[in-house]
Amino acid sequence: MGRKILIIEDDAETAAYLARGLSQEGHSVEQAANGQDGLFQATDGSFDLIILDRMVPVLDGLSVLKALRAAKIETPVLILSALGSVGDRIEGLECGSDDYLVKPFSFAELLARANALLRRSEARVTSDPRLAVGDLEIDLLSRTVKRGGRKIDLKPREYLLLEYFARNEGRVVTRTMLLEQVWDYHFDPATNVIDVHVSRLRRKLEDGFERPLLHTVRGAGYMLEA
Amino acid sequence: MSTKLRIALLAGFLAFASNLLIIGFIHFQTRDEIVSALRRQVTEQSAVLGQVYRSGGLPALTKEVSEAAAEGDPQVAIAILDRDGKPMAGNVAAVDSPSALSLGGARSAVLRMKDETSSLEATVSVSPLSGGKWLLTGRTVSAGISLRETLERSLLVALAVSVILGLLCGLIIGQYVDRRVHDIVRVADRISGGDMSGRVPLSGANDSFEELSRQINHMLDRISTLMGELRMLTDSLAHDLRSPVGRLRAAADAALAADTPEERDQMLGAIIRQSDSLMRILTTALEIARSEAFTSQNQFSWFDPAQLCDELVEMYEPVAEEAGASIRLDRGPIVVPVFGHRQLLAQALSNLIENAIKYGSSGGEIAVLVHDEDSTLKLGVTDRGPGIPEERRDEARRRFGRLDPSRTAEGAGLGLSLVQAIAHLHKGELALFDNAPGLVALVQIPVRTDRKEAPGRPPLGLAL
Repeated sequence: MGRKILIIEDDAETAAYLARGLSQEGHSVEQAANGQDGLFQATDGSFDLIILDRMVPVLDGLSVLKALRAAKIETPVLILSALGSVGDRIEGLECGSDDYLVKPFSFAELLARANALLRRSEARVTSDPRLAVGDLEIDLLSRTVKRGGRKIDLKPREYLLLEYFARNEGRVVTRTMLLEQVWDYHFDPATNVIDVHVSRLRRKLEDGFERPLLHTVRGAGYMLEA
Repeated sequence: MSTKLRIALLAGFLAFASNLLIIGFIHFQTRDEIVSALRRQVTEQSAVLGQVYRSGGLPALTKEVSEAAAEGDPQVAIAILDRDGKPMAGNVAAVDSPSALSLGGARSAVLRMKDETSSLEATVSVSPLSGGKWLLTGRTVSAGISLRETLERSLLVALAVSVILGLLCGLIIGQYVDRRVHDIVRVADRISGGDMSGRVPLSGANDSFEELSRQINHMLDRISTLMGELRMLTDSLAHDLRSPVGRLRAAADAALAADTPEERDQMLGAIIRQSDSLMRILTTALEIARSEAFTSQNQFSWFDPAQLCDELVEMYEPVAEEAGASIRLDRGPIVVPVFGHRQLLAQALSNLIENAIKYGSSGGEIAVLVHDEDSTLKLGVTDRGPGIPEERRDEARRRFGRLDPSRTAEGAGLGLSLVQAIAHLHKGELALFDNAPGLVALVQIPVRTDRKEAPGRPPLGLAL
């Protein structure tokens, strides 16, 4: 279903590219070309997600973000920035953003993150202690996992990985998202460390079952879907 | 206006103002003193003549007055006046101020002396005689005034001289300041002109200029070092980006020339991989520069380094296993919390672990080490691979210093220099040792002991 997304970005080309892509996904998109207009629109409209460039004219992105949070507007914010060091990312997150994406980015990565944020704002309402994906059941309280009634033993980190996948069921989750959300690290590993963990988890979920659950999405990441 | 001139003018003005103040003080002070001296004389003379009058009566007094007048001292005014104030004897021709004819001590009056045409200011004392007559004794003020005028003239000369001297002193001081400042300006000019080798000459004096010069030189040294590093970074970046950009271009060319969609997709995939690797090189290079500029210190917090190492061991265990090595945690008996940048230290350790997996997994055993010795926290990784020969360890820590001469493997050789930069950010060092065989790479950080709060963050979601 379509949601309302505000893009605050001064680079017309990037903004148009984002708006086109997000509209194709069925969202309604509004745009602001500087921080001040963006802040005005963000305080005015009821958006489900704000995509905020960090370096926009008049009022910079972090100031917009701080102003929003100071005004108790808790709309999820995804920061886009060419400033990509660990320190920059953490600074952005500490200012109250929900996610931080470094330019240049692939649209698949942006969409995956945007969907995760939209999904999270939805999920806040439900308080069901169980998640189900096809024949896979996750009990969030006892942290146990069953597939087709059979218990699957997972290590703590594997459980967190699966829970994150399940919360984003049917959506692409990128490697960087996993590293940030499941491990809480903000650097780019040079090895395929994430893939190795995902394939271990996949083996535990799929061994002995016919239907695959954890799919690889080429050029983007992974997706959990029945 | 030049500094020299301003200082000279200021000194001249200050000399002028302070002398003016002194002269003003002398002017009023001497006037008061002259007047009070005259009054004393007048009062004394009046008392003496009163004595004469009381013992000899009017004739004796008249005689005394005439004699005194006959002495011809132009300062002395003396007279016997009748009831109306007309002089009967003495050297006074007329009393111009009638108010003088009243009782009381010494006061000012205006008189005209005999044989004179103009009136004079005088200090007088008047005492009553019998029959309504008056005795007037006085001193004209002119003599005292002229003394004062002489004094004032010399003071004015002194004033002029002091202004000139002040200007001269100012010029000398200005010259000195100007010279010292000019030394600094000359160096600054050279620096702005691009010549970083200029330094302010030190005079050996222990003054503020010396301190300033020393500080400036120190600053220039630091800037030179940073610029040198920056130049090396940009040179190496330019050099090292050339080959991935070349590969990127080649892949794009190949994609253009592709015959089938599948082939094109494959080439496009390669292009994305190449650009990702370029991005990674740039990000890491920036990260190093940032760490060295100490901009991330405001993100420091207290955390448990042993827990961090434990997490990383768990994270890399499957990767190491795939590479045919084992990885374990080597934890010292007591590990204290550390005040640092958790994310950057995690990145440093993961770089070391990934290096160990990439180059040292042939030796089998990899250990992540966390020890606390002599208030130094040692965080690091040991492996049993080929190691790095001692003479090449400095090179390994340098930016883009890759020991693999073929430069075919992934990565741009920024790994260890990033670890080093992160160690520097924590006021520590990256040390490389021989593990006989293998490599020990240790980040050694001095431990802060002033911890106040509890360790920063709880374990992620659950006890691991």
